[in-house]
Amino acid sequence: MLDNSKTAQIILSWLLAISFVIGILILPKYVFAEDLDDADPPQDLILKGDGKCTVCHDESSDNPILAIGKTKHGTTADHRTPTCTSCHGEGGNHEDTPHKAPMPQRTFGKKSVNSIEERNNACLACHQGGKRMHWSGSTHANRDVACTSCHTIHTEQDKVRNRITQPEVCFNCHKEMRQLINRPYRHPIREGKVICSDCHNPHGSAGPSKMVRDNVNDTCYTCHMEKRGPFVYNHPPVQENCAICHNPHGTTAPNLLRTRSPFICQECHEPNTHQGSSGTLTGAYARNTLARGCLNCHTQIHGSNMPENIRNESMFQR
Amino acid sequence: MFTATLDLRKFQYSIAFFTFLAATTSVYSSETNNDPVKELAKPRSVVNIGAGQLFNDNARFGQYTGLRNEGPYGIFNVDISKRYDDTGTWFKLLGRNLGLQNRDVHFEHSKQGNWGYFIDYSQTPRYEPFTVNTAVTGIGTTDPHIPTSPTTGNPAQLSTERHSIGFGFNKFLPGNLELHFHFRNEEKDGDRIFGRGNRLGEPRLSGFNGMPSPRAIGGFEFIPEPINSTIRIFGTTLDYVGKDLQLSGGYYGTMYNNKNALLTPVGGSTVGGIFSPSEYTPISLAPDNQSHQGFLSGGYSFTPTTRGTFKVAYTRATQTDTFTPSLFTAPGIGSNLGGRVDTALAQAGLTARPLQKLSINTNFRFEDRDDKTPVLFYNPMAAWHDDLNGNRWNGLNNPRSFRTITSKFEASYALPHNFRLVGSVDYEHRDRTGTATNTGHRFRTDELSYRAELRRSLSETITGTISYIHSDRFGSSFLTNTTGSGDPFFNLIAPSNLADRARDKVRFLANWDPIDSLSIQVSIDESFDNYGHRAGSDLGLRKGSARNYSLDATYTFSERLQATAWLSRNETHINQASRNAITDSGIREIWGANLHNIGTSVGLEVTAKPTDKLETGANFMFSDNTDKFNQKVTLEPQVNIVPNLTTQYSNLRLFARYDIRRNLGVRLDYILDHFKTNEWTWTGWRYTDGTTLTQDTNQMASFAFLSVLYSWQ
Repeated sequence: MLDNSKTAQIILSWLLAISFVIGILILPKYVFAEDLDDADPPQDLILKGDGKCTVCHDESSDNPILAIGKTKHGTTADHRTPTCTSCHGEGGNHEDTPHKAPMPQRTFGKKSVNSIEERNNACLACHQGGKRMHWSGSTHANRDVACTSCHTIHTEQDKVRNRITQPEVCFNCHKEMRQLINRPYRHPIREGKVICSDCHNPHGSAGPSKMVRDNVNDTCYTCHMEKRGPFVYNHPPVQENCAICHNPHGTTAPNLLRTRSPFICQECHEPNTHQGSSGTLTGAYARNTLARGCLNCHTQIHGSNMPENIRNESMFQR
Repeated sequence: MFTATLDLRKFQYSIAFFTFLAATTSVYSSETNNDPVKELAKPRSVVNIGAGQLFNDNARFGQYTGLRNEGPYGIFNVDISKRYDDTGTWFKLLGRNLGLQNRDVHFEHSKQGNWGYFIDYSQTPRYEPFTVNTAVTGIGTTDPHIPTSPTTGNPAQLSTERHSIGFGFNKFLPGNLELHFHFRNEEKDGDRIFGRGNRLGEPRLSGFNGMPSPRAIGGFEFIPEPINSTIRIFGTTLDYVGKDLQLSGGYYGTMYNNKNALLTPVGGSTVGGIFSPSEYTPISLAPDNQSHQGFLSGGYSFTPTTRGTFKVAYTRATQTDTFTPSLFTAPGIGSNLGGRVDTALAQAGLTARPLQKLSINTNFRFEDRDDKTPVLFYNPMAAWHDDLNGNRWNGLNNPRSFRTITSKFEASYALPHNFRLVGSVDYEHRDRTGTATNTGHRFRTDELSYRAELRRSLSETITGTISYIHSDRFGSSFLTNTTGSGDPFFNLIAPSNLADRARDKVRFLANWDPIDSLSIQVSIDESFDNYGHRAGSDLGLRKGSARNYSLDATYTFSERLQATAWLSRNETHINQASRNAITDSGIREIWGANLHNIGTSVGLEVTAKPTDKLETGANFMFSDNTDKFNQKVTLEPQVNIVPNLTTQYSNLRLFARYDIRRNLGVRLDYILDHFKTNEWTWTGWRYTDGTTLTQDTNQMASFAFLSVLYSWQ
């Protein structure tokens, strides 16, 4: 049996030894990184094999990269997690002679010399399928949009995946929308309650305009399902495409109508009697312009499910 | 009803409370971390708690947030992210605007690459920006009481609110498979502007074809619509992700349930006898409906440069909501519509690079929306009796089916100096069923588009695109509009979505980085539409145009100071024509309208970090929108005028954040919001029951809030 003092000495010795070993292993990376001997392979900090990158690219470098550790790309317990070279290539020359060949094999920044396709292939090597199934052939792919045009990989907060900041990213290219969302009749886009990716899949879809569902109407129904019907009396453009009458990005006419009543209705309806009346704020036909316009009478404009037909139900009056 | 509202409020507070509890627990269980690498590489959690004061009541600033009434509001946001590095297990809790009415909570627990589940909650209010001054009572119920004569009322605020709860689960399975399941339940409650009305025409001696026309009859009544419905969306997907082949197949279902089938207003005006508003009861509301879809999509990489994708889906949507038994239905009409719409979708695409410099892209999409709802005589007498306008219709319900085929071919060729030349042809073919009654109809439309584009995507200084698109829409002959008795109706207008149209569009986009610290972006696009007409007529849409200009500049003064400024202008123009009703002197004047919409917006954003501990920022945006309704009317020009409509909106946001220590900071925010308009939509309008709608045309609101940020790892 050892007495207590010997036990304490042994424990202390072990602690010192362990501390020494840890100190040898860890400290140089932060304190003496520049003095590394060529014979000592740099130690990995986050990802497998990242030592040869992080030895230079620490947080004080022009291209800090350690924050990737905060992201899903930094979760090493997941066997699928990539390494630096999975995306950036081996970059042998870059590592060996950083001053002569300052770029790794594949870069993603503004000054990248790699083609967009080459850059995107690095992402698609893992992110093919699922919601990105239709990336190939999508408008964004065809217009040379790089994944990194929208996504930032080495940061904890990817702006485009945040509901509040996502529209700013989209507006970098879709500038007209920046104006439309500030019109008086709008979806709550500014509040982050309806955002671009609620309706559009930027990675492509089987629907038009990269709709998240297979067509415009089915996408609108995800929130406005009461418009689906079918009704006893259908209003044909409603069934065909909501966007015939509405601009979901914002308008100056109530209910996101592209143009005000009576003008929008007169783009289709025959001038039988009152249907052809000009816009006015006074007189008998003000009823077609003021308040809900034509909808003052034709209230069920999306369709009426009234089986009776004695009060102009087919004209959507009840 | 009150009890339900109370419970809902309790639920909202419970959500906020549990989020607070989770945040607190997480703070106390956090580890102290002195390892600099871990600090840089471990997920960080932040809690933000504070209070703010809203100055001035408003309708627009708080339309979707509930920040409408002057007073104090709570600030509470959490973003908790915890990862166990040894297992790759994540806990995430995101709570946004928990102290406000538009709160969101998202909780996620997952073992990355193995399994995961999430639960989320979202609350979205919408306040009607106009205040209703009404004597109508029972707002929010299905049997509102309507005054029988104009009555002065009291202010009422209409609003709706959505409460959504969702959850989902995913699990990776052997064989590169992943299973997903998702479910969302959304309750929408409240009330919105609605009404009923019948013509209130000025007296006419005679109507169409010499038929007598009712004189000065009917009226318009304010009937608030009660909203109390549920949307459910659910589905499951099985994904296969292989090196070359990826597949995704599953089920997607939706259900809509409206707790209000009919609106049965009580009272109302009886002036006008059978044409009076009170006769328009009950009023049908949106029926329950549901849909079920099975789908399979996939992609296959034939070679590193050749890939094909596809999707096939089949959807059955039904609407079999029971007609209220007390309603009169014609013989043979069942207890419900028997609505059924089957939609088949098939899509396939192929991208390839047959030559080093040549890329091609083709796509084909077929969608057949087949409305199989039985066609029945809902009003067998319709063809023998005039409607209120003196016309006769066929009394049938009118299901419509659509078949759409779109195809695309695009080729892109690499030129020297990183330029690419792109050419494409798009074709869209639409078939529609239906008949031509009171609007024009054609069974088929086709649209053919050509695009030529020159693009430069790779350059250290200038990248950009210039493109030209021309498209032509045409189709089958317009059917002759006929009434139910077979008589020809008017045949003067080619509806906007069916009319022949020639469209030319030019786009230009350039990104220029003249120096490292300056980035400039210029965007211009213009399009011109020319519409075709029905034979012998030039009514309907004639011409249209749209112009969008934008200029953006970002300047980096230093690592600590950046500024971005932008300007956008949008102009649209529509020229269209219609024809006024017949006057007592027998004149029907053709009149035209030039509708202009002009929008100008500017923005400026500055972010600065004067010291290591202080970060500040300012964001300003101003938007001006003007609608011009230039009508060319000869008869009664003093009456047929629609004044310009202008709306200005500006928003200024300032913030300053000071870090007291590494994990503790304070933040001061200030928002100034200004909305100004001369909108006349409800000005001068008074419902027959006396209801009016008003809004403050010059709304200025400011919101200042101070909060503490605490972060940990």
